[in-house]
Amino acid sequence: MGRLLRQRIEIGVLLAPSVLLLALFVLAPLCVVAAYSFALRDPYGAVLPGFTLDNYRELFQSVYLWVFVNSFKLAALTTILCLAVGYPVAWFIAFRAGPWAPALLMLLLIPFWINFLIRISAWVVLLGRGGLINQGLVATGLLDAPIGLLGTTGATLVGMVYAFLPLTVFPIYAALQPIDRRLIEAGADLGATPAQTFLGVTLPLSLPGVLAAALFVFVPSMGVFAIPVLLGGGKEIILGNLIVQLFLEFRNMPLGSAVSVLLLALSGVGILLYMRALRRVEAMK
Amino acid sequence: MTAARRPRAPGWATRTFVRGIAGWVTLLTYLFMLAPIVVLVVFAFNSGKSTVVWQGFSVEWFGKVWSNRHIARALNVSLIVALASAALSTLIGALAAVAITRRRFPGRDLLGAALAAPLVLPEIVLAVALLVFMTFAGVTLGYATLILGHVIVSIPFATLIVRAAASSLDPRLESAAADLGANEWQTFRMVTLPQLAPALFTAFLLSATLSFDNLVMSTFTSGVGTTTLPLRIYSMLKLGITPEINALGAMMVVANVAILFLVMGRYLPLMLKTNRR
Repeated sequence: MGRLLRQRIEIGVLLAPSVLLLALFVLAPLCVVAAYSFALRDPYGAVLPGFTLDNYRELFQSVYLWVFVNSFKLAALTTILCLAVGYPVAWFIAFRAGPWAPALLMLLLIPFWINFLIRISAWVVLLGRGGLINQGLVATGLLDAPIGLLGTTGATLVGMVYAFLPLTVFPIYAALQPIDRRLIEAGADLGATPAQTFLGVTLPLSLPGVLAAALFVFVPSMGVFAIPVLLGGGKEIILGNLIVQLFLEFRNMPLGSAVSVLLLALSGVGILLYMRALRRVEAMK
Repeated sequence: MTAARRPRAPGWATRTFVRGIAGWVTLLTYLFMLAPIVVLVVFAFNSGKSTVVWQGFSVEWFGKVWSNRHIARALNVSLIVALASAALSTLIGALAAVAITRRRFPGRDLLGAALAAPLVLPEIVLAVALLVFMTFAGVTLGYATLILGHVIVSIPFATLIVRAAASSLDPRLESAAADLGANEWQTFRMVTLPQLAPALFTAFLLSATLSFDNLVMSTFTSGVGTTTLPLRIYSMLKLGITPEINALGAMMVVANVAILFLVMGRYLPLMLKTNRR
């Protein structure tokens, strides 16, 4: 009996901290947010108990609807651009870089590892009116005078791709690297063109990595708030900015909670789509 | 006749083209990823107030950063929070990782998934939830809320790193220790722990770095007087870029890269080996 009891106690000690942490500071807070999203609010910003759907109704008004459309557009564009650039890079590192592959991966880890704000500040300098990019464009005669690159959607997009590109390359590389090279050679030997081999062998085998990359980019890019402010000039408001404004500036917790619940739901849909797609891909094999 | 040129395999042209494209995309991507950082570091040594026009070499901005009270205070807060949250995260994550990999209990898979969940949930929602919860519970925002928030952000990484190490341990070593008369605590302290030490160190460094660089969680969980370094930098950046930020950025680049090599130093030889197949 003593031994069994000791084992029970031991497992309890091992598990208690993490279970408490998750239950008390992740699960319970999320439940409070969900409850707040249905709560009322007095004119001074205090949350009143009650049940109303007004917060959600307000979100489907035109102003907020645009925020959702903007966020979705920005996240989708970021994901597509990251995949379009990240796939060839991952392919090159996996199949063509040879002994240089570890060094290339390491070089990609460096910007990923450096403080996010410092990386963005580098782009603020580069894209500024007197910045190196404008200087270069004027010097090569492509521009007559510097133009305002900062404060545009393009600048936001550059920052987003810059922030999320490493997150695309790593999972795709991880999917490409273990592909049996003999499969690809077999494709070529059997008379398939490189395009056919790629579409028939390499791409399907690397799809799980592509899906993971899409998830890693799409979900967090909807909650970003610093990049649109610093590079996009804060003109285009996305979900992340809206949440910051509602909680920290307008002190509107119920409405902010409703936005958070919707963001959480959208992420959940993203994760479910990912898992379904992954299952379909696995079933194809 | 051997003198005739061998006909090229079908699709040769497309193959070269595709290879060329991938090579060029890779080259440009690396330029895109690394050039801004190089420019930032170089211009940190610029004299004069401009962040874009080179006016001569100087280290005066590093001195300015060093003597900036706000930055020193924020650095202090960031270091305290990073060390405390990394220690907690590593401890909690390691306990859970050992339980998940070495013990049987109901709900094991669920706990494993739940501990990884903060990785795929939007951080801003977790941060907002903690803020709402603390307000609801009447807790004043400060060190405690910051540290707690950062533990939530780093716990998936700490757990995954220790899990990976714990699952590759040889269970026979532990039973050998038991056979030799060691009790459970002795076995843990003298056999299991030394083998897990490198993973614990990696988990700690990674958690500390994640905390030190965190902006989103800190935005919602820091209180009066607990402004972290990234929060300070963010408000400085909103006011406009200054050479001071460049100098501070250069210092953080060096620190971040040093820690990266410290963490990756162990894995790099391993990576090189697997790639030489």
